[in-house]
Amino acid sequence: MTATETIVEAAGAKPSRSTGSAGAYLLIAPAVVWMTLFLVVPMAMIVYVSFWTQTTFKIEPKLTLDSWQTFFSSSTYISSLWTTVRIWLTVLAATFIFGYPTALFVGLFVKNKTLQTTLLVLCVIPFWTSFLIRVLAWRPMLGKEGAINILLMKAGIIQQPIEALLFTDLSVVIGMTQIYVVFMVGPIAFMLGRIDPNILEAARDLGAGFWRILRKIIFPLSLPGVVVGAIFVSVMVLGEFATSAALSGRKVNLLGNIIVTQVGSLKWALASVVGVILTFIMGVVIAGLLRIVDLKKEL
Amino acid sequence: MRAHVAEGSVLRLEQLTKRFGDRAALDKISFSVNSGEYVSLLGPSGSGKTVLLRAIAGFETPEEGRVIIVGEDVTRMPPHLRGIGFVFQNFALFPHLSVFDNVAFGLRNGWEKLAESDTRRRTLEMLDLVGLNGLEKRGVHQISGGQKQRVALARTLVIKPKLVLLDEPLGALDANLRLRMRVELRRIREQLGIPFLHVTGSESEALAMGDRLIVLDRGAVSQFGRPGEIYENPANPNVAKFLNCYNVFDGSVQGDAFVTNYGSIPLARRVASSKPAYAVRYDRVTTRAGAGAGLSAAYIASEYMGSAIMHFFETPDGKVVEFEHHLSNGPPEAYEAGRTYRLSWRPEDGIAFV
Repeated sequence: MTATETIVEAAGAKPSRSTGSAGAYLLIAPAVVWMTLFLVVPMAMIVYVSFWTQTTFKIEPKLTLDSWQTFFSSSTYISSLWTTVRIWLTVLAATFIFGYPTALFVGLFVKNKTLQTTLLVLCVIPFWTSFLIRVLAWRPMLGKEGAINILLMKAGIIQQPIEALLFTDLSVVIGMTQIYVVFMVGPIAFMLGRIDPNILEAARDLGAGFWRILRKIIFPLSLPGVVVGAIFVSVMVLGEFATSAALSGRKVNLLGNIIVTQVGSLKWALASVVGVILTFIMGVVIAGLLRIVDLKKEL
Repeated sequence: MRAHVAEGSVLRLEQLTKRFGDRAALDKISFSVNSGEYVSLLGPSGSGKTVLLRAIAGFETPEEGRVIIVGEDVTRMPPHLRGIGFVFQNFALFPHLSVFDNVAFGLRNGWEKLAESDTRRRTLEMLDLVGLNGLEKRGVHQISGGQKQRVALARTLVIKPKLVLLDEPLGALDANLRLRMRVELRRIREQLGIPFLHVTGSESEALAMGDRLIVLDRGAVSQFGRPGEIYENPANPNVAKFLNCYNVFDGSVQGDAFVTNYGSIPLARRVASSKPAYAVRYDRVTTRAGAGAGLSAAYIASEYMGSAIMHFFETPDGKVVEFEHHLSNGPPEAYEAGRTYRLSWRPEDGIAFV
C-alpha cells in the first residue's frame, strides 16, 4: 500500500503530469457542474421533500414520516406498486421475445452491412412520429370497433368483438412493447454483429447444430447486448405514465400515474415519496442487471 | 508407426467446381488424400485455396463435382455432420469459454454423446498432447498466440476427425514460433495418424510440411506430387515461379535453342507446357567460367542469409536474375555494382517449357 502511494505521489510530482490531469479535469468540469445542478441536487431535494409536512393547501419543511406512512398503508398505492412491477416484467419479457429474433436476423443473418444499417434505421422510423400519437394510434386498432376486431369478424374467426383488447393490461403491454422493443433490438444486434463468423463455423465444424450454437455460443456472446437493452427498457417502462393513461382507460395505475396525479393536486410530499420509491426500484434493477455481465470488459 | 492405417483415400474430390458470378474460384478440381498423409496445398493469394478448403468442410456449396469422405458422398451434407476438423487462420476460439471448455466443446455439443467424465478425460489427454497442461482454466484472452494455436488444434483433434483441414494455420504467428509450431504440428499428427490438408501461401512451409504437395493456380491444380519431385521438376512456368527458387525467362524455342532477349540458351531438358519459358534454379547459377548456358547481367546487390548469399543481377531490359551462393562452396566473390558479368549454368540444369 505504502509503495503504491509513493509511486502515485512521485507520478503526481512530475510537473508535466499534473498540468495534464488539471487539463483533463477542466474537460469534465462543465458536465460535473451541469449534473450536480440538474441531477444530484434535484434528487436530494426529492428525498428531502418526501419528509416534509403536507396539508391540504400547502407544504412546509417540517420533517415527518406522514407521507411515507400514507403510501405504505394505502392498498391503492401498494397495488399500484405491484401493477408497475407486473407490467414492467411483462413488457421486458415481450420486448425480449420479439426483439431477440429480430436482432438475430438483422445482426447475424443479414450479411450485407448496408442492408443491416437500413433495417436498423427502419426500426427507428416510428420515432419520427410523436410518442403520444404512436400510443393513441393503438386505440382505433384495439378498440371494440377497431381494426383488429373488424378484420377478425370479417374473416369469420370471431362472432363477437373481443373487448379485452383495449383498456386492459394487455393493451398497455402491447403499446409499450411496440414502442420500446427497438431499444432491445439495437444493443443485441450490435453485439451479434461483432461475432466473428469463423467462430460460428468452428462450432458447426465441431458438430454443433443450429440450436446448440444459438444456446452455447450466440446467446452468451450477445448477453451484454441483452443486459443493455433490458436496462433501457426497464428504465423507460418503470417511469411510464402516458401509455397506461391512454390505453388502459385509467384502470392500470402505474407509479408514474400516481406521481402525475399527486403533482396535479399539488401533493408534492407524496409525489416525492413515490419518486424516491421508483428511483430506488430502478437502482436495484440496474444493479441487478449489471451483475449478470461485466459490461466494462465486454464493450 | 501410425495409429490407424486404413486402405484407400480418406478424401477424394471429383471435378469440384465453384463459381462466384462468372468467375470460377474452383475449376474442376480432382485429387485424393490418403489415410495418414500430410498434404500441403500451395497457391498464391486468390488461387482459390481457402475456397477449396471451405468447400471440403461444407461452408461453401460447389456447383459441380463431388466431395467424397471415406467413401461417402458428402457434397450436400451440412458441415456439422461431416466429421472433418477445420483449423482457422485466426484460430476462431470461443471468446467466452476457458481453454478447457473450448477444447471440450466438440465433445459436449457434437455428434458423440459422451459422459462428462469421458469428456474430461479426453480433453485433458488432448491438452497434454498439445502441451497445454496447467492452462485449462485460463480464458483464451490470457494466453499467447502459440498457445491459442494449440487450443485451436486441440479443439479440432479431440473429436477424432477423419481429416483435418488447416487454413494457413501458422500465418498469424511470428517467424520463430512458426518454425517451432511446424515441428509440433508434425509431431502431433504423427501421434494421431489423422490425415492433414494444410493450406499455405509459403513455399518453404509447403515443401517442409507435406508428404505430398498440391500446387493450386487460378482455381485449378497445377501439380500434385512429392515435394522433391515438384521442386526438381516443376510442371509449368507458374509452378516454378511460386516455388520462389527459379529464374524464369520468357522466350521461344528455335531448333535446339531457347531464344530470349538476352541470347539463346542450348536446350537439354524439355517439359511440355502451354506457355514457353525457360527456368533455372537460383542455386545452379554461377559466375565462374566453364558452364555451357548463360546470359549477361549487371550486378545490383547481395543479401546475406546465413548459410548462403543471394546475389541480384539485372539484364539490360530490367529482368532481375537471382543467384544463390552456398557459403559451404567457398567464400563469395566480390562483385562491383553496375558492372556486367556472365551468369552461367550447366545446360542440363535448365528446364525449357515448350
